[in-house]
Amino acid sequence: MTLQELYAEVSPVAMQILQIPQFDSSVNMSSTPEWDSLNHVQLLSAIERKFAVEISPDEAFKLTSADRLVQYLHGILKAKQ
Amino acid sequence: MNVETLPLLPHQESNCKVELPYPNFHALLKAKAAEAPSREFLIFPESDRRYTYQQFYEISLAASEWLTSRTRQHGTICIAFRNTPEFLAIYFGAVARGITVVPINPDLAAAEIRFIIEDSDCEAVFYDPDLEGKVAPLRREMTVAFHPFGNVADLPPVDTQKAETNLPKVEPNTPAAIIYTSGTTGYPKGVVLSHLNFIVDGMGMAEWFEFTPATRSLCILPLFHNNGLVVSTTTTLFAGGSIVMIDPKASLRSFWALVDRYRATHTSVMPSILAAILAMGFDGKRGQLEGIICGGQLLPLSLAHRFEDRFGVPIFEGFGSTEAASYSSFNRFPASRRKLGSVGTVLPVCEMKVVDENDVEVPDGTEGEICIRGANVAIGYHKLPELQAQKFRNGWYHSGDYGLRDSDGHYYFRSRKDDLIVKGGEKIYPAEIENVLSKHPNVTESAVIGVDDAILGQEICAFAHLKDANATSESELLKFCAQSLARFKRPKRIVVINRLGDMPELPKGPTKKILYRVLRDYHERRLGNSEDPEGLKWVLGSMGG
Repeated sequence: MTLQELYAEVSPVAMQILQIPQFDSSVNMSSTPEWDSLNHVQLLSAIERKFAVEISPDEAFKLTSADRLVQYLHGILKAKQ
Repeated sequence: MNVETLPLLPHQESNCKVELPYPNFHALLKAKAAEAPSREFLIFPESDRRYTYQQFYEISLAASEWLTSRTRQHGTICIAFRNTPEFLAIYFGAVARGITVVPINPDLAAAEIRFIIEDSDCEAVFYDPDLEGKVAPLRREMTVAFHPFGNVADLPPVDTQKAETNLPKVEPNTPAAIIYTSGTTGYPKGVVLSHLNFIVDGMGMAEWFEFTPATRSLCILPLFHNNGLVVSTTTTLFAGGSIVMIDPKASLRSFWALVDRYRATHTSVMPSILAAILAMGFDGKRGQLEGIICGGQLLPLSLAHRFEDRFGVPIFEGFGSTEAASYSSFNRFPASRRKLGSVGTVLPVCEMKVVDENDVEVPDGTEGEICIRGANVAIGYHKLPELQAQKFRNGWYHSGDYGLRDSDGHYYFRSRKDDLIVKGGEKIYPAEIENVLSKHPNVTESAVIGVDDAILGQEICAFAHLKDANATSESELLKFCAQSLARFKRPKRIVVINRLGDMPELPKGPTKKILYRVLRDYHERRLGNSEDPEGLKWVLGSMGG
């Protein structure tokens, strides 16, 4: 799956949980009030379930932008193959 | 120097004997850098940046020089950053020049940020470029200067000796920061805190918890609030320890991983964070964490017990307020000396007492308003002389918190004198939300209350009376609030009161004042069980909690 394809898969999940109109590379935690601490937990849990992966707590605090999140997910999905 | 020799305000005088080893923030940082230049001071795991005391001292001087062409000495600036090196560089660089810093919560709505910029009379705003989308409209409409500041590495290097000679003398009573908190009138109020306030309070806590250079604090609360700035930062700096700084919004899931990886010895949280960590189903004892400092909202005893039983880490509950720099009392350290359920005894840098409605001190065991005085107590409110006279009177700061002291000097928090809502540690006055609702063309009046919430302590419920009961939906009102209020201030639920069969009007007393207590009772009896837990239970369920 390419990064772009992965974005297309992740975006609807993130948009629903964060209640934001779009989830693209312009979105980051700093400028998105809806992306708060509980929603961060919720978002990562939803991604884990959807993609059957485990997001390491050692990495979870670094996933503070859409790009970082999707790139990290891309990496672990690739490693799973 | 002895604090008694300084020109103090009446509410800053006390019987405490306090020695002030450093007159200002810059002197404190400089002394620590001289003591142990190569000792680690700041760690930012998200961006993989680490700074020793000497490195950060030089950065603060570089920031100070950089600020000279962008603001004047002893002026006021606003800063909008998360927990980043850029926040601390601008903060330390500015206060070294006698500049007063106004930290802004980047999650505030644009209208709220505008209010703070205008009310503080600041001359420049420094902000994280990630916030450009929010800042751009303000920059177009306002005359104040806006400066993006993206990376401390971009600061021009300085000759430290030369930079030192360029610094003005900064007296302990010089304002260091204006911290905006929710106000009873519906507009945030600025609390003016001096270098003296911060350093004395930080010193008091560092000594209380026996902080040493080996102390490592995990800072997961925002620097734009006093808790992050004083409890984690000033306190640890005073002891010469190190601080791991995390974006509070990203920390919850990684909390124990960060504690373990960075071998944190202390952290500071709100009870809502403890509740969330418990709910996430983590397990295992964490011996290296010597204590968790906790306050900002009521800590249920059952929550404290469950947390301590599961993780084996003692919680030290305290009592504080922005007006007293941060905490004024704490449970005693080490854990064996605590009295759980109390907010502890008074820090040695200040005094507390409990008074009745006539300002007369009440006997131990009797409830009344908790008052504080001492060198940690703020200069006062920014441009609010009436409120200043009301809250800082007869030589004491009147907190508005009700509680009591027992016979061995432990204080107990009971309730608020007013209708303040404390949601996840954030303080919100109903008037802030009522003011927004009143601007809706179909709302005749409204009343906002805090209701119980398992994780956040309190959530927000608004009751609105409409001109035409069927012309506006509750979700339309929620959307209307979202235009002007920061997310954490938005009601979770809005009840259209004229659609309620058994209470079609807002309950009022003989003087036509809204009876908030009646609304709270009504909510508990009739609406509490129908509260939609939104995503929270789902989150907890999904985490196995």
